[in-house]
Amino acid sequence: MPNPQDSEIFEPVQSAFAEALGLDDDEVEYDSRIIEDLGAESLDLLDIVFRLERAFDIRIPRGGIESAVAEAMDEGETLEQHGVLTPEGLRRLQAAMPEIPAEDFQEGLKVSEIPLLFRVATFCRLVCELLEAKESGEEVSA
Amino acid sequence: MPSPARFAFLVHPLAPFHRRVVGVRQADLRGSLGLSYDSLEIGELCTFGMGGALVGHIVTVPWLPSELLEDQQGAVNAMVEAVGSLDGVRAVGLGSLLAVVGGRGETLAQHVDVPVTTGAAATAWAAAGNAVAAASALGVERVAVLGVGGAVGEAVARLLQQAGLEVVAGGRGRGPKRRAEGLGIPLLSPEEAVRGQKVVVGAATSGGGLSPNALEQGTVLLDVALPSTLSPGPLPKGVRVLAGEAMELPDAWQRGFWGWLYHLISGYGPSQIFACLAEPLVMVATARDRPFAQGRSVLAEDLSDFAEGASSLGLKPRLAVGWRRVEI
Repeated sequence: MPNPQDSEIFEPVQSAFAEALGLDDDEVEYDSRIIEDLGAESLDLLDIVFRLERAFDIRIPRGGIESAVAEAMDEGETLEQHGVLTPEGLRRLQAAMPEIPAEDFQEGLKVSEIPLLFRVATFCRLVCELLEAKESGEEVSA
Repeated sequence: MPSPARFAFLVHPLAPFHRRVVGVRQADLRGSLGLSYDSLEIGELCTFGMGGALVGHIVTVPWLPSELLEDQQGAVNAMVEAVGSLDGVRAVGLGSLLAVVGGRGETLAQHVDVPVTTGAAATAWAAAGNAVAAASALGVERVAVLGVGGAVGEAVARLLQQAGLEVVAGGRGRGPKRRAEGLGIPLLSPEEAVRGQKVVVGAATSGGGLSPNALEQGTVLLDVALPSTLSPGPLPKGVRVLAGEAMELPDAWQRGFWGWLYHLISGYGPSQIFACLAEPLVMVATARDRPFAQGRSVLAEDLSDFAEGASSLGLKPRLAVGWRRVEI
């Protein structure tokens, strides 16, 4: 699998964020949080996804990481209760998003707050996974 | 008599019910019953006229929001087909999510010969006009604008400043901070920005990010966000949420049965329109060959041109809740 920090991955991702958000490339860092640091909103994310799909000739699946994590959970495990991630759900989410610092996965995290965790690195990692899946003909959940 | 100047406005069904109406319009029995949508086609829903000199064709791209989000390139291809099906139009406007998917009109514009405009300038103009009216009625000289990082929010803030009002900018992150600085004002969090304000414009594209409790009692929220600016919950006493982009139905507006029905099911109501529809109209009325808005920003010059063109046609913002005009 390509390295998410490699320039052939990071630079097009960086440009996609910069163009969609009206920023200079160097304002978009690998570890930037896309909502809190860059100010991206939901429609910006649509634009970013479209730019990434075109740049890498991939299809980024919709449905959210929580759906992917929920599908991967074992029988009897639950992702969330009353909108708050269970300890198991939090652990699974952390495993699915290795680019996010561990301290960001705080007990009591709500499902609706998951997008606040996303970083530019999240999209770099996702692009790498999709490129690898494309090579091998597999499907990837976001 | 010269032939009328024509524009197209591309729309999509917001819900399965809307697609059934498209099925009825296209005389497609299965589609109208919701049994199958496969046979629904890109096609004209209705036309509008204005004073005999302008004709607008409302053309449907029969994709639901979820489908547009799932396949943006496919959505662009469908829009290209829609524009290609029209003859002699001089401007294309984009409604709802069609103005967002595929790079906010930019990709479509690369594939067609007609200028494509997203509605952001008109929406900003209407929202700002409504905010000025609300501020005047309430006797306040300061307005909070949420979402200054976006094209509409930034343009609203600029128009309000030009109208002599003080703007308090709400948002988060580097992009919004930069745009607020460009307006010469600091960026506050949305909660801080609305504190103590009686007039608020909600233009953040994420929507749902502000608790109703953050608003003061009696605040007028002019909302152009989709979904709504406020998260679910009871409103504080006296808070009113108005359709920020509402405009009066122009006097010379002409519509047939399907046009009338379109007014109802699109949410305009019988006696108003939403501003985005006015943008391609003003383009053809003023013989303009460049969009007023495309991509992620609205230029000050284009905003000014739209305002001038809209005023010359007698277009007016309208304070409204849903279909109803309201007094403040």
